[in-house]
Amino acid sequence: MTEPLISARNVKKYFDVGGGKLKAVDGISFDIYPQETFGLVGESGCGKSTAGRTITRLYEPTGGELFFNGKNIYKLSRREMQEVRRNFQIVFQDPYASLNPRMTVEDIVAEPLDIHHAYKNREERSERVIELLRLVGLGEEHILRFPHEFSGGQRQRVGIARALALNPKFIVCDEPISALDVSIQAQVVNLLKNLQDKLGLTYMFIAHDLSMVRYISDRVGVMYLGHMMELAESNELYKNPIHPYTKALLSAIPIPDPEIQKNRKRIILEGDVPSPINPKPGCRFVERCHNAIDKCRKETPVFEEKSPKHFAACHII
Amino acid sequence: MKAEYNLKPDLFSTASREDRNAEKMHRPSIRYWPDVWRRLKMNKLAMTGLVIICLFSIMAFVGTKINGFKYFEQDYSLINIHPDKVHWFGTDELGRDMFTRVWFGTRYSLFIGVTAALIDFVLGVLYGGIAGITTRRIDAIMMRVAEVIYSIPYLLIVILISVVFTSAGQGSSLFVMIFAMTLTSWVPMAILVRGQVLQLKESEYSLAAESLGATRGWILLKHIIPNTLGPILVNLTLQIPGAIFAEANLSFLGLGIQAPKSSLGALANEGLAGLAVGNAYQLFIPAIFISLIMFAFNVLGDGLRDALDPRLRK
Amino acid sequence: MENVLEVKELKISFQTFFGEVEAVRGISFNVGKKETVAIVGESGCGKSVTANGVMQLLPMPPAFFKGGEIIFNGENLLKKTEKEMQAIRGNKISMVFQDPMTSLNPTMKIGKQIVEGLVKHHKMSGDAARKKAIEMLELVSVPQPEKRVNQYPHEFSGGMRQRVMIALAMVCNPQLLIADEPTTALDVTVQAQILELMKKLQEQLGMSIIIITHDLGIVADVSDRVVVMYAGQIVETGLTSEIFASTKHPYTKKLLASVPRLDMSRDEPLYSIDGTPPDLYIPPKGCSFYDRCSEAMKVCKEHVPELSEHSATHLSRCWMNHPMAKNAYSKDGGGK
Repeated sequence: MTEPLISARNVKKYFDVGGGKLKAVDGISFDIYPQETFGLVGESGCGKSTAGRTITRLYEPTGGELFFNGKNIYKLSRREMQEVRRNFQIVFQDPYASLNPRMTVEDIVAEPLDIHHAYKNREERSERVIELLRLVGLGEEHILRFPHEFSGGQRQRVGIARALALNPKFIVCDEPISALDVSIQAQVVNLLKNLQDKLGLTYMFIAHDLSMVRYISDRVGVMYLGHMMELAESNELYKNPIHPYTKALLSAIPIPDPEIQKNRKRIILEGDVPSPINPKPGCRFVERCHNAIDKCRKETPVFEEKSPKHFAACHII
Repeated sequence: MKAEYNLKPDLFSTASREDRNAEKMHRPSIRYWPDVWRRLKMNKLAMTGLVIICLFSIMAFVGTKINGFKYFEQDYSLINIHPDKVHWFGTDELGRDMFTRVWFGTRYSLFIGVTAALIDFVLGVLYGGIAGITTRRIDAIMMRVAEVIYSIPYLLIVILISVVFTSAGQGSSLFVMIFAMTLTSWVPMAILVRGQVLQLKESEYSLAAESLGATRGWILLKHIIPNTLGPILVNLTLQIPGAIFAEANLSFLGLGIQAPKSSLGALANEGLAGLAVGNAYQLFIPAIFISLIMFAFNVLGDGLRDALDPRLRK
Repeated sequence: MENVLEVKELKISFQTFFGEVEAVRGISFNVGKKETVAIVGESGCGKSVTANGVMQLLPMPPAFFKGGEIIFNGENLLKKTEKEMQAIRGNKISMVFQDPMTSLNPTMKIGKQIVEGLVKHHKMSGDAARKKAIEMLELVSVPQPEKRVNQYPHEFSGGMRQRVMIALAMVCNPQLLIADEPTTALDVTVQAQILELMKKLQEQLGMSIIIITHDLGIVADVSDRVVVMYAGQIVETGLTSEIFASTKHPYTKKLLASVPRLDMSRDEPLYSIDGTPPDLYIPPKGCSFYDRCSEAMKVCKEHVPELSEHSATHLSRCWMNHPMAKNAYSKDGGGK
């Protein structure tokens, strides 16, 4: 058994808001193995984006531990964290907002190099930038252009080039394709896959598009209101979902095939996703669950292995 | 709609890869500031303002040399002459040529206005930038301090400082004037900058820079400030007429510049006496100058604000 | 089938600093009674402009109608005055927008917003209008309608707000509902609810629906016919079953191949389309998909392809359909 690259243990992130405590991430634990893609899915408010940012310590955690190569990064000093940051990079969701509109593409991609003084002279810097741009399918002719001159897909590729500048081991992709057109999504996902093979990267892929997450991920975790509800290998999760939420989620995704779609059995959930502020005790899904029993309201189910490598947090399984 | 094409079979052969450029960039590169300038140029009023400012600035230096009279030259035989061919703006009650004096005054007023505004700018950006980027606690303290400073009546401060420095013999010094004026006027700029910084701190590119390992200072200097220059520039442009008028006010009250040097406000003050005795030109000419300058900066500032607003792009 | 809406050779352009941008370049399609037509395409293809154009909600400058007709119930909407259009909007043709967060007035109570249309178009009185508002909330399955009718938008969640939007759109019993990406901003479980609701309402009230989306799954779920747009033109149109089962246009094929499906194997590669759609400030001389098409031929660059009929309902615009094309489709070919 290989050692995990990343181990999250009971990670928590709470925010103080007007009405109380917003428990965005409320104790999640999982491992990510080298060179795998770990997918994290859920709907709005489930905490997946916050999880991604807390894992990389972009947000200071409220609790828990995060082990990277054996060290708990939550205990590191600011300086030590700077070093670790070279290995943790993030690709953000909004290609229109994650690039500074006043900087040229060259400066944007070179910024990590500038911050960490990773080159000796301007030529080296230029060369590295062009190398990175080529990796993502752009070219030398693009270096003096500004973000607003590119399409969404191209901007996202610039963001990826930037994330690769310091040769990181681990990249958190925070909804990297949600803001893109369908055909461009495939472009970016294929690029990410290629880069993974080429450079031996490990990904955490956060998205709400389950079909895409399934496609790119080796293992997938399903979050709901700050809790991890189910975690399993990709194929296993989609073929044999055991948590009621996962089942409802999967049945809600329309399949682009009219014959199949019209004959599917649908589980329609009532109501909306409740607020993560001051959540009640018990299972977070209890309000919308068709199979809820009394225990579900009182006791929060433990996230544990229900069958080999298949984890879930539910009382009735 | 079927068009009649002359279609030959060879047209149906496969097109070459090179001919198809999927990543083509079509439009010419639009840089930010050139685009702002272009939009500003379309605004006739703002351009008028800019022209006036340029004209006045040039004349402020050249105007005093044009007709040969010095601003301090007194000639008791030429007292209170109405504007004529020799003295284009007339003379004042000490026989000094108004034309030369008015341009000299313009020089002073512009200098004070622009300097005061620039000092406000520097202080404001520094203070506001730090307040915005730092922790909430320090930010709160900084803001309370700024508010207290700002709430002290402006005229009171100016008079106090004037008096203090007069007793030390420096009362009319240019720098004392500017010091007194800018002591409290930097606060609105600081508040503006702080607001901008707070907002842009949350922008995704700031977050991205943080994830790359950038320090807060780096983010402030490289990411936030460049993106706030727009509103800051507008504020700066609109502060200049405020400063000019403030100085005019002070001079009018007799607190500012001392004879024989003069500013437009001081000239207006001197000219007030002439109003009652039929020498209205002595008041009106400096007053018109002040108004024109303020008008010019105001419309330029407004035009800049419109040119910078992305929503108004045509 | 009788047609509620007939769009003929519609052309809409925008006058910008750079010149004219041809957003919609001559499209024609029909919507029949009680039919759901999906307009699919990616950003910039002109689908939203078309929808807003039918309702004449585009800012008129810089937009302008360059040509064509929009026939609704036998009358050309482009010949109507603004006053006449106001009598039609919200009354005979309604629209549901993408973002429920911003489409509702935050300072007006929900009930009041719902019946605004009734009061304006049908001169209904206060009491009767309020009753109708509660009725509409019930129709769209908002729980506790008597209580919620007096609440403000911020007290509703995203999904609920979208339901309110639909109630608003339905209140005057329109013949045509245009839904512009109605579920894009919603979670997938809420999306499923809203789509179910729309289907139910169509059954009950018999209206026609135009649904604008980029999600092929939604298209498969709710639509009877599909119009595929690319760079301001219709590249393929047909019954939903035809479009999915015997796709004819390379763009549609690539689009279908680039969407990961829950039921496909993970080893199947995801096809992506290189590059980006053309800039419509310089519209391409020939086929707009030329730069990105793997089947491109020289003729594709020179001339805009003609429309070919594959069946009475299935049409596509591609030079591959021409008898002179070497890789021409066989009579029943299609799919991958």
